[in-house]
Amino acid sequence: MSDALSLVIFGRHVRVQCQDAATRALFVAKYGHMQGRQGPVALQYAVGRQEETGGFFVGRAGQAPSMASDPGELLFLFEKDMTVELEKLRPDLYFIHAAVLAFGHEAVMLVGESGSGKSTTTWALLHHGCRYFSDELGPVDLQTGEVYPYPHALCLKDVPPGPYPLPTNTLYTAHALHIPTAALPSEVGEGPALLSAIFFVQYRPGAAAPAVQGLSKAEAAARLFANALNPLAHVGGGLDGAIEVSTRVASLRLFSGDLTATCALVKATLKSLLSNEEARRCLEEPCSHP
Amino acid sequence: MNEPADHPKRRTDVNIRMVDGEVVVLDRQAGLIHQLNQTASYIWDRCDGQSTVAELAEQLAVAFDVDVNTAVHDVATIIVQLHRLGLIQSPNNMPGSP
Repeated sequence: MSDALSLVIFGRHVRVQCQDAATRALFVAKYGHMQGRQGPVALQYAVGRQEETGGFFVGRAGQAPSMASDPGELLFLFEKDMTVELEKLRPDLYFIHAAVLAFGHEAVMLVGESGSGKSTTTWALLHHGCRYFSDELGPVDLQTGEVYPYPHALCLKDVPPGPYPLPTNTLYTAHALHIPTAALPSEVGEGPALLSAIFFVQYRPGAAAPAVQGLSKAEAAARLFANALNPLAHVGGGLDGAIEVSTRVASLRLFSGDLTATCALVKATLKSLLSNEEARRCLEEPCSHP
Repeated sequence: MNEPADHPKRRTDVNIRMVDGEVVVLDRQAGLIHQLNQTASYIWDRCDGQSTVAELAEQLAVAFDVDVNTAVHDVATIIVQLHRLGLIQSPNNMPGSP
């Protein structure tokens, strides 16, 4: 059996030819929210199970396929290749390795190294009135200051602590937990939103309380540049793009700790930063965790 | 001839931007980005290979209204840090050196 999955990501049509029903179900769980058709196919992939080895393959049209030993590695290889290709297809966007949430029409970015807790913090914040944009990719339009959603299934490395239990339809792979967008406690972003604030996240386990600290525009620019994925596609080797973004938004360092306290601190901080009335209304919404 | 250690000179083969009074330096050769605070930015800007460390300290003392001894200490410390980061030219990191 062969069935194609059509996705629209950053206005580009990505077609994934799934060779079997189980692989298709895996991709629907991970990327289902981005299903759609728009314009000619810009990227085409074939994915599926490799009968001889019991493993999986992923191949972009015209390229030799890569092999994966399990579904988690399959998703990893696909996503890695696809995001690089999307960066090439949209060189006008400044891609930042970041999680993104939106309160009303204002977007907030969480930037941090792998393991800094940005996905876990994102998962917790989704219980507090915001919309999900991404846990991995924040492409910014430098002309408008807007950031685009990339709502694949939210990916966690571990079961989150505190009062934010995983939904029953969480997808478990060898190295990660994937929460499909349909199982999120929040709405999902459908279009770009104005980037208003950036938190540079650093997890401080055991700290008495989470804390935020203002950052200068220059430090924010340097930190943003360090997390830029396609800087060379932009003027000045990408430095000007990072400065452009940092001078438009409020930038803070977030020392995260206990999840509930971290969410409360982020919301309190945003209440003083976000000016849009709808954003402020979202921040007033009660927490939706059990 | 000016000795690099006495007359520090900032590297010219890096991308530099001033953001709100602080310098951001992109060193593509080393794959590093640096953000200098206002004091370091002031000193960096004056590391032209002509001014001595003592002259830099005098300028800093006037600009930031600090005593000369403090300024000498600050300049010396920052020049050492800029050297360690490879942002000041030395015989080993002059453009064109192997």
